[in-house]
Amino acid sequence: MATPKELSDFLVAVERRAFKQTVYAVRDDHAALDIVQDAMMKLAEKYGNHPASEFPMLFQRILQNTMRDFWRRQKVRNLWTTLLSSFGGNDADGEERDPLETIDVEDDSDEPSAVLARNQTIQLIERALEKLPARQRQAFVLRYWEEMDVAETAEIMGCSDGSVKTHCSRAVHALALELKKQGLDKLGLSNAIFDKNSSIKKGD
Amino acid sequence: MNRRRDNMTNEKHINLMDDEVTSNLVVEDQIARNITELLNDRAQQLKPQQEQRLSAARGLAIDYLAEQQAQLASGNRVSQNGNALRWFGQHLEQHRVTSVALILAVMLLTFFAVQHLSLNNNLENSDAFLLASDLPPEAYADKGFNAWLDSN
Repeated sequence: MATPKELSDFLVAVERRAFKQTVYAVRDDHAALDIVQDAMMKLAEKYGNHPASEFPMLFQRILQNTMRDFWRRQKVRNLWTTLLSSFGGNDADGEERDPLETIDVEDDSDEPSAVLARNQTIQLIERALEKLPARQRQAFVLRYWEEMDVAETAEIMGCSDGSVKTHCSRAVHALALELKKQGLDKLGLSNAIFDKNSSIKKGD
Repeated sequence: MNRRRDNMTNEKHINLMDDEVTSNLVVEDQIARNITELLNDRAQQLKPQQEQRLSAARGLAIDYLAEQQAQLASGNRVSQNGNALRWFGQHLEQHRVTSVALILAVMLLTFFAVQHLSLNNNLENSDAFLLASDLPPEAYADKGFNAWLDSN
């Protein structure tokens, strides 16, 4: 049985990644925080009596299921919103929202240019990650970010080892291509795969 | 001779393909590592309110576990009976469907056993009554018997 200290150490180690991973999936910071909190509570409630070594796997499974529940609820809510909005017009005050108001602009003016460039790169990667199909993103995050092996990833995703490998490979290729489109092929990470991609396309 | 040369060419081709697959995997792996390194950096740059919220969530989970374990520890000290009851309670909680089916089966079994015993008991009583009685059973079916009994 895990002690509260072991649970605490585990959660400290994973909570930030879990939060970011959820943000990429649901694209809403508040919802992501709720989902991570739910997952933490479920881990403590249902699996607190398990050894701490099982926590990474269990937590990821709970997190993925909680995200899935969120999407299901979201789908139902969207359906109702669509139905109800067909009865109404614009906002009650008659004003249209300015999309610029909702954009979160970070003030990097004091940062050195290198840090700024790095942050921009990360933002591009985050956007590219958000664009990935859900299964590819899930496989990429579990396999590479959470450093799980293929079998563990397959178990969490409920698919075969082969599917995990395919999803991971496609995700990496898609990310690399997306980054190249943004002019990041000089990042020192994607040249090789771009060459491979182009040779594969030529081969087709 | 030609066949052998073909085989060697095929083997070389397969080896080249294997090399290409392996190098592809290595490149993919390297790209993935570089991306996740950047993502890890990003994950360390959360807003203070997000940090607080995560910390609070973690605190809730840890408090819950600590409370559960404290309850379990105090329960262990109460008595052996308490343990058995708790075990039974946990068992019921974890195997709800099985437990309900088990309870229903026990109830049905008890019902049929009681029915069977009471039926046997009734038969025994009526047999005993008939055997102990002075009059033959046909006498009670005779319509003139009661009138004869009154006149005598």
